[in-house]
Amino acid sequence: MKIKSIWKPALALLIAIALWEAATKVWQIEVWLLPSPSTIAKEMIIVFPAFLPHMLATIKLVLVGFSSAIVIGIIVATLLHIFPTAREIVMPFLVISQNIPTIVLAPLFMIWFGLGDFPKYLIIAMTAFFPIAIATLDGFNQTNRECLHYMQMMGATKKQTFFKLQLPDAIPSIFSGIKIAATYSVMTAVVAEWLGAQKGIGVFMTLSASSYRTSRVFVAIVITIILSLAFFGLFLALEKWFTRWKRNEGAQ
Amino acid sequence: MKAMIRCFSFLALLLLLVGCQSQESEGKEKVQLFLDWTPNTNHTGIYVAKEKGFFEEEGLDVEIMLPGEVSTEQIIGSGKGQFGISFQSQVTQARSENLPIVSIAAIIQKDTSGYYTPKSKGIETPKDFEGRVYGAYGSELEKASLQAVMNKEGGDASKINMVQVGNTDYFIAMERDIDFVSIFYAWTGIEGELRGADMNFIQPADFAPELDTYSPLIITSDDMIENDPETVQAFINAVYKGYEFAINNPEEAADILIEAEPDLNPELVQRSQEWLSPRYKEGAEAWGVQEASRWERYANFMIENKIIESVDIQKAFNNEFIEKAMK
Repeated sequence: MKIKSIWKPALALLIAIALWEAATKVWQIEVWLLPSPSTIAKEMIIVFPAFLPHMLATIKLVLVGFSSAIVIGIIVATLLHIFPTAREIVMPFLVISQNIPTIVLAPLFMIWFGLGDFPKYLIIAMTAFFPIAIATLDGFNQTNRECLHYMQMMGATKKQTFFKLQLPDAIPSIFSGIKIAATYSVMTAVVAEWLGAQKGIGVFMTLSASSYRTSRVFVAIVITIILSLAFFGLFLALEKWFTRWKRNEGAQ
Repeated sequence: MKAMIRCFSFLALLLLLVGCQSQESEGKEKVQLFLDWTPNTNHTGIYVAKEKGFFEEEGLDVEIMLPGEVSTEQIIGSGKGQFGISFQSQVTQARSENLPIVSIAAIIQKDTSGYYTPKSKGIETPKDFEGRVYGAYGSELEKASLQAVMNKEGGDASKINMVQVGNTDYFIAMERDIDFVSIFYAWTGIEGELRGADMNFIQPADFAPELDTYSPLIITSDDMIENDPETVQAFINAVYKGYEFAINNPEEAADILIEAEPDLNPELVQRSQEWLSPRYKEGAEAWGVQEASRWERYANFMIENKIIESVDIQKAFNNEFIEKAMK
């Protein structure tokens, strides 16, 4: 992103924070109801050393859960693309799987798989793989028809068409799926931690909320937002890198 | 003529309906009570007061609410609700963060909660907690309380593996990766008996008297006490009668709770009520009365363990309303 496109939302954000700060001062809002941005910032500095292990635990959850989601998402999409009958049969179940709220699914997973990290990876992977799989499938279906015909005319095998044409062509679609999933994978990890964990932003949130330290709850919210943005940014950068490689190849 | 009679009688009926309606809501003040958890025998006196019309006699129309994911203390402190069920630990902590809530009646005099573990795990005393997995409910106090309980035997709470368990079924969780949890004996303990589970129960107060807190208790806000003490008095009068009834008639009180909350297991409610009724005011001069010394002792424990910095205990509880209700 260029600086030019970023200054407008940044200014809007600054104004919103200033209004928030002013409102808490003017109406003298109690800290336990709504802390001011300056209180949150101060609290963040104080609490950060204690917060860090929680944050690292969540980052680990997201990294493992999300990378498995990418792998599973692309593999599932590929399989469903190769076997159209399987696609017809499995698709409704995939959609249903997305309609089960995390908040009821998580305790069940904890009972089935224990309270370790595995059920949490599963929850993150389950919520994140769906947009990736759908976007990848769409990408496969939108292969350039002319190129496809061209390759078929030249007698390319199915395998060759897939790896040389369909998969590279689908990369932008795959990334749009990954980016959608990345935005809420951090949130999913936090919710999963609410429902059973030893460490993590979710645990920190529960502890802070139960002791009425609303400013700490907000610290956790702010960090969650920053982490989500960071993950989104990471995949945005990766996408650029991947498509540049693609462009370069096309130019050769 | 006929049309006119019809018209008049219709009008009269309408007036009557309107009259009836205003009569019903007139003078009956609507208040909301937020529970701490799903309805259980800790709340029986409130359900009795509602079903037996004690609230109505006092001119109140009480709605019983479940808090969901929001804390009852914050709902009451912010004035979104008038009364709530909370715990001494929560009120002390809330008060130290300037939440304007006050405990106006202790529901049970002795803390009936404790550590619960399957006998097969071999946890007999707090010393055995070391190296085990504790299923926590998510409070900063839990570790300090565990340490206090273990102090007597020289145990080290930092050797306990703490895992937050949230809404998991404790019994299922304890079959695999949790070794012990904290429960209310009157509810989960009795449920264990009904399920035929072979369990050990360790009461914190036996090892650390400072942990014997009023839990649960009834709270309201500073604002209610200051600006609407009549409503608070009316509420306490009715609840007082409700718990007195539950103390003297456990079986009938349990039936009232079962009828009001049909989703509860009736056998569990009956057994739990039988166990709990004699304990509501055990050792106190009357139901609901609270002692300053117990509030101070617990606040000191929290300050020593750096869970809170300071708290004005005089603002945390109030016996005024109970004393008037006794008369």
